[in-house]
Amino acid sequence: MGVKQLSIFVTNEKGTLADVTRIFREHNIDIRAISVNDTVDYGILRTVVSDPEKAMEELAKEGIVSKLSNILTVNPVDEPGSLNQIFTLLGDHDINIEYIYSFLVREDGSQLFVLKVDDKDRAQTLLENNGVKIIKELY
Amino acid sequence: MGNNKIWSPCETYEREQFRGVQTERLMETVKRVYEQVPHYKKKFDEHGVSVGDIQSVDDLAKLPFTVKSDFRENYPFGLFAVPQKQVVRLHASSGTTGKPTVVGYTKNDMEMWKEMIARIVTMAGVTDEDTAQISFGYGLFTGAFGLHQGLEHIGATVIPMGGGNTEKQIMIMKDFGTTALISTPSYALHMAEIAREMGVDPRKDLKLKWGLFGGEGSTEAMRREINDAWGIFSTENYGMSELIGPGVSGECLHLNGMHINEDHFIPEIINPETGEVLPEGSVGELVITTISKEALPIIRYRTSDITSLHYDKCACGRTTVRMAKISGRSNDMLILGGVNVFPSQIEEVLFNVEGIGPHYQIKVFKKGYLDRIEVDVELIDANYLDSFAKLESLNQTIRHRLRTVLGIDAKVNLMQPRSLQRFEGKAKRVIDMREDK
Repeated sequence: MGVKQLSIFVTNEKGTLADVTRIFREHNIDIRAISVNDTVDYGILRTVVSDPEKAMEELAKEGIVSKLSNILTVNPVDEPGSLNQIFTLLGDHDINIEYIYSFLVREDGSQLFVLKVDDKDRAQTLLENNGVKIIKELY
Repeated sequence: MGNNKIWSPCETYEREQFRGVQTERLMETVKRVYEQVPHYKKKFDEHGVSVGDIQSVDDLAKLPFTVKSDFRENYPFGLFAVPQKQVVRLHASSGTTGKPTVVGYTKNDMEMWKEMIARIVTMAGVTDEDTAQISFGYGLFTGAFGLHQGLEHIGATVIPMGGGNTEKQIMIMKDFGTTALISTPSYALHMAEIAREMGVDPRKDLKLKWGLFGGEGSTEAMRREINDAWGIFSTENYGMSELIGPGVSGECLHLNGMHINEDHFIPEIINPETGEVLPEGSVGELVITTISKEALPIIRYRTSDITSLHYDKCACGRTTVRMAKISGRSNDMLILGGVNVFPSQIEEVLFNVEGIGPHYQIKVFKKGYLDRIEVDVELIDANYLDSFAKLESLNQTIRHRLRTVLGIDAKVNLMQPRSLQRFEGKAKRVIDMREDK
């Protein structure tokens, strides 16, 4: 289990992001988090949405490729140094971070961080053993 | 697999028999065009060749070539060798620019055409047990009617579906139990894609066995992709409206090249730059002389298609000469920064890359003094979305292979699946935006 992230292939054309969000809107899919990196011709939009399976299906119907995967999501304690603790732990254990993005959970105001690491299972055990709160499921 | 039937005894002539028929028919054709078609009289006279100079098939090279523009200059009926009264059918080629190329058939031509197709569909495995769906566009284009007549002639059940309306094509294919698909290879790929979208598994839910493809060239990689998608055995056939339409040549089940109906069409291979006839096995431009057509006999027509001829015996038992898969068209050839590239070579590279779809588009333009080439391909494997690095390495792989195989540096654009244009007729894969080509 874990938080499900949808990775969506996007091309750098006018209206591409609007297309994706329109599809979500039309099917009542709520976006909890979104992240796009700067790319020239194409890239990957990463998002955490309310109904990822349905989102993927609707995107496919409109000819957009996407992939669903479980992603490590942590809820660090809201105090200085908490992220530093996480990164240090991962670094000391030779776990690489490919990308990070964060989002707020409206219900309780907690801030979550999505961490894409090269060894998810090892990272999760390591962080859990060191008292970092791991989000197993949203909602 | 299939039947090994050979439709006509003419397909197993000894070499000397072919030469005899070719000599006799060539001499008769040369005499007739000289007398009946002012264009040929003028051309032969200018070329300094007389009817009497042609005493055997070996004298063929003494005759001048006929080219596409000769059709334009004699538009619409100037090259016809019979009075209009004897013409029972007209067709026209898909001329992309200007006036179309008009071709005509007498009653005997129609019979001959039917016979040529009967041979070709038979060698492609089709029998009177089959149900053939023709997914070429009907109309002026020769493809649909040509195959239609010949398939009926052998007793197959013909579904004159026509091009387009793909979902209906799939429905009919399923409901009518189609066993042979007749279309362009690119449309066959597109249809398989639509079938899957409709929830029809082309390999399991249909009775399709044979694919007979033509109207445009294709590569071995494309054939594999089509066979795989449909679970069929496919062959390619070749023709050109100027010569007759489909019916010039076709592959047998041994896939050893396309058997040319040599008792009606004499092939030669020339150096496209000098016009010199090349020896057996050489790669060059295919030139065809029709030796039995009445309405529109054509002397030494330059097809622009690049291929080679092979006279060794085929395992199927036919002795007709075989032409290799068309490797390109002499006028399709792209010259990119001094490197000669055929779109089919790019296609071959792309088909062997995992993760991308079979559709592509090549765009060429000038950037300053340099030729720039971009290749659009569709990403179909979502696993590349794990990381941008993975996506980027797919792009680099394609780029690297194009460079290794063709010596060209192309920019590769990954696109959404189904975003590139699909073609129901001949695919137009190259967009050349350079001003002077």
